[in-house]
Amino acid sequence: MNIETEVLLVDDNPGDAELTADLLRRSGPGIHTHCVSDGVEAMAFLHCEGKHSDAPRPHLIMLDLNMPAKDGWAVLVEVKSDIALETIPLVVFSTSQARTDVARCYELGANCYVTKPTNLDGFKSTVAGISNYWFGLASLVRAGG
Amino acid sequence: MTIKEAGTATEVSSHSEERVATDSRPASLDPGSLTPDQFRKRIKEKFPNLVLTDDKIGQWRGIEALEILRREGRDIPLILFKAAPQEDSTRVELAQMVKELARSNAELEQFASVASHDLQEPLRMISTYTQILAEQYSGKLDAKADKYIHYVVDGAVRMGTLIRDLLEFSRIGRAENGLKSTDSGEEVRVVVSNLQATIDENAALVTWGPLPIVMAHGFQLRQVFQNLIGNAIKFHDGKPPSIQVSAERKDAEWVFSVTDNGISIAPENAQKIFAIFQRLHTREEYPGNGIGLAICKKIVEQHGGQIWVEPLATEGAVFKFTWPARILEK
Repeated sequence: MNIETEVLLVDDNPGDAELTADLLRRSGPGIHTHCVSDGVEAMAFLHCEGKHSDAPRPHLIMLDLNMPAKDGWAVLVEVKSDIALETIPLVVFSTSQARTDVARCYELGANCYVTKPTNLDGFKSTVAGISNYWFGLASLVRAGG
Repeated sequence: MTIKEAGTATEVSSHSEERVATDSRPASLDPGSLTPDQFRKRIKEKFPNLVLTDDKIGQWRGIEALEILRREGRDIPLILFKAAPQEDSTRVELAQMVKELARSNAELEQFASVASHDLQEPLRMISTYTQILAEQYSGKLDAKADKYIHYVVDGAVRMGTLIRDLLEFSRIGRAENGLKSTDSGEEVRVVVSNLQATIDENAALVTWGPLPIVMAHGFQLRQVFQNLIGNAIKFHDGKPPSIQVSAERKDAEWVFSVTDNGISIAPENAQKIFAIFQRLHTREEYPGNGIGLAICKKIVEQHGGQIWVEPLATEGAVFKFTWPARILEK
């Protein structure tokens, strides 16, 4: 059985992006993470536009909030109001712990809000937790039935 | 000694001072049965900013005080307060100053908030990737390199905590939280419950007497107790900490006391410990950043109280703070 899992990671911090992608890859077989560094590129990926014309439909979107050009808030709104994209599970993955940010994300339809831990061990176990939940515990809609 | 306002007599009190100051009608001060010298002395006590000179004209907050009159053959110290035209501009200036202070405060809070948030980010990169380096190259680096990596990570972690503490300190304010009726006994109970793990670890005993209901912003009173009781447990010198919390009513205030039997504080350090990031011990002796007491001080003073420490003759110390006793009924 060869299950391929595609993750779209939207984060402008290359350090965080690389670490997250690495941890996701190591958390289970067949997990591919596509990293984009701003909201404009994220939407292009999701709409299969330009250089992303061959982009796969992700099984999970992990979204940072503070990014230049188009930020995470704008992406969240666009994805959850697009009938073609709204069913893709979306996890907001941000350093912000502000209650107002958390509340607003859920209001806008995010499936989940996870705060980025400030220490390495915490970061590792959190990403592992996200992977275990979404790719192990939860059922996802996969092509082929 | 009474103040007469256009025919009505009123007792002199600090409130009357204000009323006299803002009222544009003249008010007079009647010496009653006091001799001129006694009266002069009383005036000086009640209105310390009033300059009484021999030609008997003084200035008090922009208000003209007129002559001490001679009547019926004797000097009757009679002072008429008349609101001078400057009074309005003083009020305008004051309003202006308040507005400027509010703006400056808001700016500082925003700066502290943004700065700490933006500072956390690069710090996280330093800390995280140094640890990753250590992991990926473990065994391939010598002991010195390991030590250096440890120093880098340790420094980054400490800086992160300092930034968070500073942010917490700068955020203590009144804006978002209105004053609400707070049961201080209940707050202590919650704090003890929060600290249960460390209380058990240190075999500490925390007791408290009857504690009053006071007005407080948000959970700030709880924060004061959390820091004081937490410190009392932390700064023990080997024997199980024994801590008592009590309150005593004194005039318009409550005086809260948190007494412990831990390490005592030298009198020369009594003030220092309330300064931000001030520590009296190394991190190896006792952990912490030195912000707990600074936070207590800020909270207590913002509520109109004062905080201080009294070393005990035997051992330990009593931390005391005052808190206004008035309860506002809704």
